[in-house]
Amino acid sequence: MITLVRVDNRLIHGQVVEAWLPHLKVSRVVVADDEAASSPLIRAAMALAVQSAIEVQILPLAQVDFAALSKDGVRTLVLLRDVTSVPFAFQHGLVMDQLNLGNVHFGTGRRQVSPSVFLAEGELQALQQLSEQGVRVEARAVPAEKSVDLPDLTERWSKAG
Amino acid sequence: MVGLVIASHGRLADELVSTAEQIVGKLPAVATCSIEPGGPVEDLRAKMKQAVKAVDEGDGVIIMADLFGGTPCKESLMMCQRMNLEVLAGVNLPMLLKANSLRSEQMALSEMANQLASYGQRNITCASALLREAQQPRT
Repeated sequence: MITLVRVDNRLIHGQVVEAWLPHLKVSRVVVADDEAASSPLIRAAMALAVQSAIEVQILPLAQVDFAALSKDGVRTLVLLRDVTSVPFAFQHGLVMDQLNLGNVHFGTGRRQVSPSVFLAEGELQALQQLSEQGVRVEARAVPAEKSVDLPDLTERWSKAG
Repeated sequence: MVGLVIASHGRLADELVSTAEQIVGKLPAVATCSIEPGGPVEDLRAKMKQAVKAVDEGDGVIIMADLFGGTPCKESLMMCQRMNLEVLAGVNLPMLLKANSLRSEQMALSEMANQLASYGQRNITCASALLREAQQPRT
């Protein structure tokens, strides 16, 4: 079962290891990312950071069986590097009621919508489509932070133009 | 909730707390105090008393000082004679993060302090050696 889907361009890092994993009490972390999966070094370094009781899978996006992850009884955190991967996962069987935006860094054409999230117009539209399909979208770096939901993100995006 | 005071030379205490908050979010019942070069010890003593008072909610306080034998540590030890205080020296980031999360568990203050000291030590690792081990094919 999917406990949380998080977009974070740092994938597994301090906030995930120290804040989200204890908070979510998941038994499995799935990193769906071509770049991370292609490097044995990155895979080893990321897996090392997570306590051994938690299973870590680091796979190319297209190789993840999202439907199976969604169906079994193992509490799972899914990590994606960018917003553009989310619709792909969603179309390939990922069942989620909540999408968390953690760290989406600044880039050309991106506007700031929270202290740690910058979105391009296409990304915002993709998020709106997910929201119409029943996914609650929020920006929140760590569990203790106040979450910012999509209507507020959209408003901030417009104002930042 | 057990209160936490981070005591250091220079800006270490403030920066350590600010770094921890970047990782896990706002830390409740945490105060810092520091001694600046040339600052009188009396100032530090007053600041430490204030800091302890500010975070003491009745469950006791753990002071984490930067260096065993340094002034912040010595001043903390003077105070723990008279109050429900434990003092740790050699504070590091893993220890501070653990201190924050351990506070939700019921345990004696001395037990928490002991656990934190060993946790801080355990989290000093030769990370590159661990990585080399992890990359060894299992035989």
